[in-house]
Amino acid sequence: MTVRRIEVRERVMARNDELAAQVRARLARHGVAALNLMSSPGAGKTTLLERTLEVLGEPLAIAVVAGDVQTQNDADRLSVHTGRLVQAVVTGGACHLDALQVSEALDHIDLDRTRLLIIENVGNLVCPASWDLGEQARIVLFTVTEGDDKPLKYPKMFEKADWVVMTKTDLLPYVPFDIERAERNCLQVNSALRFIRVSALTGNGLTGWFDLLHRSVVPLAGV
Amino acid sequence: MHELSLAVEIGSIAERELGATVSRCVAVGVDVGLDSGVEPSALEFCLESVLSQPPWTGACPVLSTQAGDVLRVSWLEVEDDDRSED
Repeated sequence: MTVRRIEVRERVMARNDELAAQVRARLARHGVAALNLMSSPGAGKTTLLERTLEVLGEPLAIAVVAGDVQTQNDADRLSVHTGRLVQAVVTGGACHLDALQVSEALDHIDLDRTRLLIIENVGNLVCPASWDLGEQARIVLFTVTEGDDKPLKYPKMFEKADWVVMTKTDLLPYVPFDIERAERNCLQVNSALRFIRVSALTGNGLTGWFDLLHRSVVPLAGV
Repeated sequence: MHELSLAVEIGSIAERELGATVSRCVAVGVDVGLDSGVEPSALEFCLESVLSQPPWTGACPVLSTQAGDVLRVSWLEVEDDDRSED
């Protein structure tokens, strides 16, 4: 028996990144902007999207890919608020969406009738950060019921993000959360981050969020 | 779970690299950057599980940590049956 070494030097994420590039090109051909919405579980992604679809679902021709580990509860919730397609992706235990799942989800969406694709990632502050889905911008939801040191504990998620949406701000009077310190912690990890503060319950701050979505449908330049 | 899915992908890369050769893989070298977001010991544990299954039948994961965010399959060690070349 002879043992020999074969040099490989292939990035583990290479195949996902290749598929993500294909997704990005496909969306660009149809003039569709794509946002990747990420957060820890329970940060309010689905509730924010419910309010968003109610107001902007039709005007911005929004389609949603909703990822969940098990069940399609989020997709069902969102479907109540829009006649437009909400495509569920059940990962079957995986803790993140990957580019193949998004690519397959796009097969079910009429991209010619879509201007904005919102991908609701699996609730997780670690794994989704590693997977390019073909999006144009990454948005992290950071809720005031979490610790304000989350960006320091989960830096990769914030390093890779473009925007941070502070959610559930109506709870600020009731929780020991220093929102200024939280935003400073974000900036310590990624000085280019921009912030929006919202309460999907009261509607406070949603105008800023809606403005971001309006700007995002102008490909890249507005985001 | 993150590391397990990465381990499965590492197995796929190695399988593609070996193709239809009859060589038995005995070790898989993986470079793991300290900023890659991957916990080396967790990845090693998951790789041991993946590589314990056919077609690997016990190939050994060899992780090498380094600076940066790299995560790649660096090399494979394969065992050739010398008699097959006769």
